Amino acid sequence: MHPFPESDALHERARAFVAAFDAGAKMPETFDALACDLARFQARHVPGYARLCAARGVDPENLTRASDAPSVPAEVFKLARVATFAEGDAAATFLTSGTTIGRRGRHEMRTTETYDAAALAFGRWAIATGLGKQPAVIALSPSPRDAPDSSLVHMIEGFRGSFGDTTARDAYVIDGARIDLGRFDEVVARSTTQGRPVLVLATSLALAHLLDALENAVFRLPQASRVMQTGGFKGKVREVSAQALRRDVGRAFCIPESAIVAEYGMTELSSQFWERTARTPEAPHGVYAEPPWARVVPVDPETLAPVDDATIGIARIEDLCNVDSAFAVLARDRVRRVPGGFELLGREAGAPARGCSIAIDEMLGPS
Amino acid sequence: MSPQERVERVAAAARRAARDPSVVEDLARTTGLSPEGVALALSRHLETSPTPDDVRALVRSAPVAPVSVVVLSATVFVGALRAIAWAWAGAPRVVVRPSHREPRFAAALVDALGDPGVTLAPDLDIASVQRGEVHVYGRAETIAHARASARPGVRVRGHGPGLGIAVIDEAAPLDDAASALASDIVPFDQRGCLSPRIAFVREQAPTDDMRTLEFARAMASALERAERAVPRGEMSDAERAEAARFAEAMEFSGRSLRGGSSVIGVSCTLTLPPPGRHVLLVPFASDGALRELVAPLARHVTVVGRTDDAPALHFAHARTARLGEMQRPPLDGPVDRRPD
Repeated sequence: MHPFPESDALHERARAFVAAFDAGAKMPETFDALACDLARFQARHVPGYARLCAARGVDPENLTRASDAPSVPAEVFKLARVATFAEGDAAATFLTSGTTIGRRGRHEMRTTETYDAAALAFGRWAIATGLGKQPAVIALSPSPRDAPDSSLVHMIEGFRGSFGDTTARDAYVIDGARIDLGRFDEVVARSTTQGRPVLVLATSLALAHLLDALENAVFRLPQASRVMQTGGFKGKVREVSAQALRRDVGRAFCIPESAIVAEYGMTELSSQFWERTARTPEAPHGVYAEPPWARVVPVDPETLAPVDDATIGIARIEDLCNVDSAFAVLARDRVRRVPGGFELLGREAGAPARGCSIAIDEMLGPS
Repeated sequence: MSPQERVERVAAAARRAARDPSVVEDLARTTGLSPEGVALALSRHLETSPTPDDVRALVRSAPVAPVSVVVLSATVFVGALRAIAWAWAGAPRVVVRPSHREPRFAAALVDALGDPGVTLAPDLDIASVQRGEVHVYGRAETIAHARASARPGVRVRGHGPGLGIAVIDEAAPLDDAASALASDIVPFDQRGCLSPRIAFVREQAPTDDMRTLEFARAMASALERAERAVPRGEMSDAERAEAARFAEAMEFSGRSLRGGSSVIGVSCTLTLPPPGRHVLLVPFASDGALRELVAPLARHVTVVGRTDDAPALHFAHARTARLGEMQRPPLDGPVDRRPD
């Protein structure tokens, strides 16, 4: 790997935010200061970003506000390489889900150190604080061996290693397309005997499949157990509302709905956002908290200008930990700022089809 | 009346409906196309003068049924002619359910036809159809809903969304090709299943893109000229937002040019521009490379536009047409030849 001191220095600055958060200390610098330096760095080393800045009349050298740095549409990760460093120097490459045409999006990381620090810090805050004993972790996801290019699985593995009881057997209970209920039961039974809570880390789809497998049976989790729920059902045959899923999971696991915590992340980012219900049971579901190093700004879908609070816009996500790719990413999710964070209101589906020319959503849906 | 005579009567009725000023005026409102866009559709994309061979081919392809229900989509309103002609060629009785958004042209056509064998039923429930066939034109969800609603024994034929692609061969004069492709893009504001959205441009070598960039400049000029002649109709907020995203994505990953309201993207990687008169240009350097590029799209392609007589691309069920004629298929059967 080629040395890249400029990148290393920016990673250190991003991690300083994470360290300050962990220590409950003041942030080391302003968000805008690091954001603008990231945008300048990315314009210097990512030709596409330089072109985007030029097309928008933005001179990165003169940036003073994070909000003035152009955002990169998430789909660009499928079309071009979004990386500041030489090809071949990636320590990890995460891929988005496949689409009908074109290739999967690629988010190359020169180092996962910053990603890991941020994910663990905010994940711990959201779901792994106040558990009492060290939990057993059950991952309702493929294992890293089976999904080496999944950022979600990478994060889950990080949580398992950092939060969980590492003396436990392999916690991944999805084997191919099958949920191994026997293994799930084993972990739960052992944890109950030991008086440990269980941390279930799952995609929404996997939870729905688990509920199907359980039918109406109950699978009581030990006290203080929590569930991370992430992702939706885009492109899948079945679709369940978040509320219905949470209700059914709570009933099946005999845990309060406040113990089911939704996480929002993207392959194109290095940071995640979490509901705060595990920390504050009366906090509303559907409102996501932001770490000090990342924020979500609703913008007008056409002009990309920020919209007023409480107005729905498209998510422009500013992520100080996305050092070597794109500091600001334009997602397809509709969001709205509310007290305590932002609400996630579903994906922008692309313009509804008029006429019979195929809609983007139909063509670019999951393969 | 023979099936051929029925088809000819539908074509004649369409000629009469197209000349009715009140129909033309209403269509601009119901389709969202500009008045010039409506006029273009009626003058160049309504197949009112089929040849005898075309009619015979249409009749041969028409499914035979005691009754056929035709469910129409909006925007490509001229599709009503072909849909009704095809249905009536095979069934003595046709019931037409126009699009709720654009019912005007179908109603005018049925009225001009004035035959008890073809009637309108704007609120027809597919579940009430007892026998025969239902021909559904439009979105995939509409077709799926129809299939789910139809009674056992009622055959549902779907004519769903698709797109056109164009191939610009190495000898094609680029300005001419651009003008021709623009004339394919403009009709129906690119919302038809034949509307081209991607063009593949032949280069000398795999890493070249100079010719594609030159073609992009030619497309920008051609689309700007075309827009002056036939202004674009209404675009929804969502459609404008999609166009903005496409432009940004192209700016990052390749090149992006503007031709009036149109965005012309140039990229080596395939993506789909939104409808609304935008186009993606993709360079290629060999027949094999072209086939590989197009493979993921193949099932959605309804027509391949070409600049020469020996096109490098064939799909079993896609039409081929010269550039400039992609949205003017002969009245020889359904526009969409993909298997249902």
